[in-house]
Amino acid sequence: MDLVKWEGKAPRDLWDAFDSLRGEMEDAMNFLRLPPDTAGLLDRAQAPAVDLVETADEIIVKADLPGVQKDDLELTMTDSLLTIKGEKRAEVNGEKRKIFRKETWVGSFGRTIELPGLVDTQKVRAELKNGVLTIDIPKKEEAKARLVKVSVD
Amino acid sequence: MDSQVKAIERKAIIPACSISEDSGIVTVKVEMPGVEKEGLEVRVEGNSLTLEGKRAEDGLQGNYLTRERRLGDYRKSFTIDETIDRDRIEAQLVDGLLTMKLHMKEAAKPRRIAIA
Repeated sequence: MDLVKWEGKAPRDLWDAFDSLRGEMEDAMNFLRLPPDTAGLLDRAQAPAVDLVETADEIIVKADLPGVQKDDLELTMTDSLLTIKGEKRAEVNGEKRKIFRKETWVGSFGRTIELPGLVDTQKVRAELKNGVLTIDIPKKEEAKARLVKVSVD
Repeated sequence: MDSQVKAIERKAIIPACSISEDSGIVTVKVEMPGVEKEGLEVRVEGNSLTLEGKRAEDGLQGNYLTRERRLGDYRKSFTIDETIDRDRIEAQLVDGLLTMKLHMKEAAKPRRIAIA
């Protein structure tokens, strides 16, 4: 499934009709906290919130992954798709544990991001620090914006 | 234990949290990605336990094609009752996940009374 373009939701989704209702309900409930499409009433897969920033020389991807260990994270890339997959583990599992509130989640997550333009997959750097994943993807030389001076006679 | 959301300051984010209890220890987990140990403050004042976390990062210079993450500071406040031992609150921040262990006072724990 790595090569499937991420589009937010599956096409011809049976739940499509409920989307507007769902949106309103979520707006009412998630008033400040949750980024869109990462958790919700009817979401079946969990996906981390992502920022995608394009600069002159590179593309920077940032994802919030609190509590995820480096070893539980898997990054794969093709020429234009980046997939972040991983698992958030629960370290406490008491039988007698009483739960009062549960807003955090554990389990596997995944997200595939389409990258704009040509990138150099050989020079990608990724860092996981304080629960934030940062991926620097350099653009290929031919994809960089270049300023060409044209002399006018 | 009940939580209360204090007056929300501008740009403050309410972090997601989970609260559970086992054998007299209340565990509070709060997700604060991007917060370093130095940027986190945990305060107990009377009956309120307040968390404030400052994100160590700023927005990037460049063209945002997708923006889903919120880059404000985190703030959350809980009301803790008398059964929590104020002197035995442990907090640990690892990989953006804050885990607090609040011990209940010995007197508040359920005890088995031996029958003579």
